[in-house]
Amino acid sequence: MGIIQDMFSGSPFGPLVEHTKKVHECVEMVRPLMEALAHENYLEIDNLQDNVSKLEYEADLLKQEIRSRLPRRFFLPVDKSELDNFLRCQDKIADRVQDFAIILTLRKTKLHPDLIDGFFQLVDQIFQVTGSLLTAAVELDNLAEVSFGGAEARVVLELIDGLGEEEWKADRMARRLSKKLYSLEGKMDPISIIFHEKILLALGSIANEAENAGDMLRMMLVK
Amino acid sequence: MDLMVISFAALLGLYMAWNIGANDVANSMADAVGSKALSIKNAVILAGICEFAGAVLVGSHVTNTVRKGIVDPMVIAKIPGLLQGEAAAIIVVGMTAALLSAAFWLHFSSATGMPVSTTHSIVGAVAGFGIVAAGIDSVNWAKMGQIVASWFISPIAGGIMGYVFFKLIIKFILGQEKPVKAAVSFVPFIVFIVSATVILATVYKGLKHVTGNLEWLTDNVTMIFALMASLFFAVISKLWVKKVLKGKSSLSIARQLEEVEKVFTPLVIISSCSVAFAHGANDVANSVGPLAAVVHILQHGTIEMKVGVPFWILALGGGGIVIGLATYGHRVMKTVGTKITEITPSRGVAADVAATITVLVCTRMSLPISTTHTLVGAIMGIGLARGLGGVNREVTRKIFSSWLITVPAAAVLSMILFAAGRFLFLEKLRLLIIGG
Repeated sequence: MGIIQDMFSGSPFGPLVEHTKKVHECVEMVRPLMEALAHENYLEIDNLQDNVSKLEYEADLLKQEIRSRLPRRFFLPVDKSELDNFLRCQDKIADRVQDFAIILTLRKTKLHPDLIDGFFQLVDQIFQVTGSLLTAAVELDNLAEVSFGGAEARVVLELIDGLGEEEWKADRMARRLSKKLYSLEGKMDPISIIFHEKILLALGSIANEAENAGDMLRMMLVK
Repeated sequence: MDLMVISFAALLGLYMAWNIGANDVANSMADAVGSKALSIKNAVILAGICEFAGAVLVGSHVTNTVRKGIVDPMVIAKIPGLLQGEAAAIIVVGMTAALLSAAFWLHFSSATGMPVSTTHSIVGAVAGFGIVAAGIDSVNWAKMGQIVASWFISPIAGGIMGYVFFKLIIKFILGQEKPVKAAVSFVPFIVFIVSATVILATVYKGLKHVTGNLEWLTDNVTMIFALMASLFFAVISKLWVKKVLKGKSSLSIARQLEEVEKVFTPLVIISSCSVAFAHGANDVANSVGPLAAVVHILQHGTIEMKVGVPFWILALGGGGIVIGLATYGHRVMKTVGTKITEITPSRGVAADVAATITVLVCTRMSLPISTTHTLVGAIMGIGLARGLGGVNREVTRKIFSSWLITVPAAAVLSMILFAAGRFLFLEKLRLLIIGG
């Protein structure tokens, strides 16, 4: 009864797009976290971290939901393992955001005034990277609509093509910021420097995972 | 007394038709209801009209196959040592038993949620009775082989057509730089194909049942008429699509795709109707085939081969399907309609068109096939063309296993019922047939 309907139920693409949106919500917490740090509002950091942790957990649930569906399907339009790889990378973005949030809660650190602008530029650049990836990933529903080909697939691929360059820019910014940080040696206490460095690395890895996810998405599309 | 037996058989035929309506029809309209193109009430009404039309206009071919193609009445008539009228009585009892067992089996599997083919049930049941009545050889194995082969060929043919048709939609509309513009020029072709198929199937020999023999209605006239009418519909659809999509070609591709999908929504209504029509045409035979055999024998007292299926019997079958639809199909559609569907109208249209063409061609060739399985095959074809978010493996497995169970289950049930019926009623019926 209604077997035609039952055959389709449980397509992975709906939840996959949900997962993308969830990860995006996570990434959107990065800037408020940075602002809270700049304003030395440590209570706010704790709150935001709770929030990130919740979002990351929800993303995890979605990931498991999608994974449980994959083995039970025939005729998936994309390779199962490639889809899984992409999902894992996308999920890691949320993980890295959580790492970043946790680092901020570890120590009541004051951002060095000379570095604040640089940090915000870096955050914006990272948002640029994750933004273009997630904009591309949200199109997965529409891509399924055109069976992963044609003009729509080209548009999505163009979105991802920009990713590498944006990530490279973010990398360069992080490097410059790192140099600047070490040039302040002597004017800052060493623990603060370590802490700043940790934040830099955490931010960098968010962009890095986004780039990886972009590569996986491309693998999935180009056949 | 004659009338009583006929009424009883008619009642059974109605019960079987009711089962078909309740069981299958949700599938023919599933795409339209699932993609929210139609309300449940309207779907039931439309499906009713189309099923009835298909049953009455095109239903007779397959009916003849079920009636006399599987178990040859002449073989039963030639069984040595039969009393006068006994062969006729055997067929009456046997066809009634087949009808009853197929209907029981369907009712049982509907209740337990098993996806079972009405066609497979009745073919299995008729063959079962034949084996008990006159041994293995009474079954026309050549015809039976053809029928069973068609059960494999029709989903495959549906699959291939679904694949090709969907690829065409992707290539010419959805994958284009400007899907909206492409839709304006390509959608009329789809409309043309759908209407040409349905009109050809209806007019070509179909109308005879209603109007009698029309001298002027030659094959050429039919062909020209069908093509002209289809052309007319195609032009109308072009104007309509143009109007709906006006000024939408400057949107982003993703937005354009959504707009084009909206154009497919009314198309999926039409294509679902054509599936319902094809379903009525092919599956009405499952209920009225045996009934026609019983009625014919009781009215004429002889076993003859060359007699058409009376109009009232087809109408009865069509009516039964509609009643099943209205009483039970309603409920089925409700569950279908409230479920989240992941089939978009463009897929629905592709699957429907592929299934309609396959089923109508098989109907023309007098082959009883499963409409549902053909539709499933068409959907698989679309899946193969990367058109779906995958297909649920468990459900697919369930469908295939029910393929294997249905024929033997219906056959065994029919054997038992026939043996019981022969023991209880055969002599009375024989006397009745000689007397009348």
